[in-house]
Amino acid sequence: MDANNIVTLETVQKAASTLSGNVVITPVQTCNTLDLLSGRRLYFKCENFQKSGSFKFRGAFNAVSRLVSLNGATPHQLQVVASSTGNYGCGLAMAAQLHGVTAHVVMPTNSPVCKKRTLLSYGASLTQCEPAAQDIAQTMKQVQDATGAVFLSGSEHPDVIAGHGTMGLEILQQVPNFDAIVVPVGTGAMLSGVSVVIKSLCPEIRVYGAEPEVANDAARSLSSGERCTFPRFPQSIADGLNGNIGVVPWTYIRGNADDIFTVSEDEIKNAMRLVWERMKIVVEPSAVVGVAAVLSDSFKARAGECKNVAVILSGGNMDLDKMPEYLQM
Amino acid sequence: MNTNAEVTLQTIEEAARTLAGHAIRTPVETCETLDLLAGRKLFFKCENFQKSGAFKFRGAFNAVSRLVRSNEPTQRELHVVGDSSGNYACGLALAARLCGVSAHVVMPNNAPECKKQIVLSYGATLIQRERRQDFPQTIKQVQEMTGAVYISGSQNPDVISGQGTMGLELLQQVPDLDAVIMPVGGGGMLAGVSMAIKSICPDVRVYGAEPEVANQATLSLQNGERFVYSYVPRSIADGVVAGIGPVTWTYIRDNVDDIFTVTEDEIKNAMRLVSERMKLVVEPSGVVGVAAALSDSFRARAVGFKNVAVILSGGNVDLQKLPELLLM
Repeated sequence: MDANNIVTLETVQKAASTLSGNVVITPVQTCNTLDLLSGRRLYFKCENFQKSGSFKFRGAFNAVSRLVSLNGATPHQLQVVASSTGNYGCGLAMAAQLHGVTAHVVMPTNSPVCKKRTLLSYGASLTQCEPAAQDIAQTMKQVQDATGAVFLSGSEHPDVIAGHGTMGLEILQQVPNFDAIVVPVGTGAMLSGVSVVIKSLCPEIRVYGAEPEVANDAARSLSSGERCTFPRFPQSIADGLNGNIGVVPWTYIRGNADDIFTVSEDEIKNAMRLVWERMKIVVEPSAVVGVAAVLSDSFKARAGECKNVAVILSGGNMDLDKMPEYLQM
Repeated sequence: MNTNAEVTLQTIEEAARTLAGHAIRTPVETCETLDLLAGRKLFFKCENFQKSGAFKFRGAFNAVSRLVRSNEPTQRELHVVGDSSGNYACGLALAARLCGVSAHVVMPNNAPECKKQIVLSYGATLIQRERRQDFPQTIKQVQEMTGAVYISGSQNPDVISGQGTMGLELLQQVPDLDAVIMPVGGGGMLAGVSMAIKSICPDVRVYGAEPEVANQATLSLQNGERFVYSYVPRSIADGVVAGIGPVTWTYIRDNVDDIFTVTEDEIKNAMRLVSERMKLVVEPSGVVGVAAALSDSFRARAVGFKNVAVILSGGNVDLQKLPELLLM
């Protein structure tokens, strides 16, 4: 079986069967208050309930699984490595552990403590570095040279992107009728995978990204037509979205995303409060960037005609002690 | 239709019909990590997802709804009044609004801010008092001014029947149930749910759970006589510090198998586990049952129990207080 080079509806459907029985088919929840505030019907895909606490597990599991089948070698001889602001590291650690594979994760020092703890609890090894693209690349190389681990990029690998795309398949089955879907964007792997599915099966459904204003590399890329990046990572409280839009994801986003909405730090905090208080679910700041987008004036202006909107709540891994800080506007 | 004088399986089934389409039939969730810690399969009834953020809505809606129906011939403007540490106030306020009735709630000054805000957001009149001893007089004053009907948050049979609907749902949602654990304060939930479960499946054990510092129900069961402290105990589980009432005591005495007590640290540990592992927003009172399910005393009793349901009673917590509530 060859590694997939690109992401297509077929590769996502294959990923779905690989993931079947191994991932949680997360529920879609609704909330009257948020419907009232946004002026439309919202359908929240709750990936905070996913294994390892975020949707990242999907892509990680698909990629590790295919690597193990491809490789032929016994799993315990296999090592994998990746860099992550947190959740992909946790997802990879858990996916690797389930396959009997050793995982190494390179993570910026300012990642949440709970994400570091979680990945260690799944038996992965953690190497920390400065939150800058160059430091990460350098540290990754060091780990690879030392261990011979296979690099499974959380943003570029087609098997990871295909794994994330399975959310698109599920949402199409779970939500009978929707006009648009809003997805938080960090490196863009989730938006890529989900957009491939939606545009293949229901091209009339709008696919929107949502990003912090201070980390608006994807929005700038989409509006300029060229991939834009930050040399040093921004510091949004949406810590999972501070990474740059990836090279491979950009090719899919450029072709499939209808628009990307940016939101302020205060809008993210307001969305956090609303989801915690009204929906009673634990979500991390990155996870509610889509909610913030749907509540924003720019969404009302540019996507106002979308009456039934699916929103992915991407994860719930956060340091609970930080809650007061995340609510302080 | 009059207010029921007592609580039976029939009144609970009637309540279920009244609540259908109004209260949420909350999901039952599971968590592998908590199963490992407990040594058995746990089934969490998520009443944090209930309307107004806690199970109290069920009893409040049933009672207000029945009151409106019995009032129909006269058509006079209805007012209801209740006293509450928080969640019943929220439930009553919402139930009243949905039924087109005016609500007045009496709450202690130190009730969580979020609960006061919820009450106000539903359009109820909020009266705060420093001491619970002043509640009866305050209620009387409201009644004199408005003609409001007093609906006790835990002792009113229609309220207890409403809470009992959780028992019916659990029996439908969880196959092969060995036991159910739930927090106990005034005892409305424990009375209603125990009546439902023992009427249908008397083999299923029914347990209450309370903070050690507020162990009135435990002492009552031990002594065979209702016991309440002369003061209001202080626990982070602010919703369950009240003692059980005279009405709920009779049902608890006859139907409940045992009550387990837990320390403040055990409650905080349960808060952390449910928040971090299940990604659910719950309040300290809401996880007292979880703390009990993980406790040594429960493990000693639960030998052979494979499937235990735990009611997560609510999720109305001051998010600002979260670090304090998790600090052990």
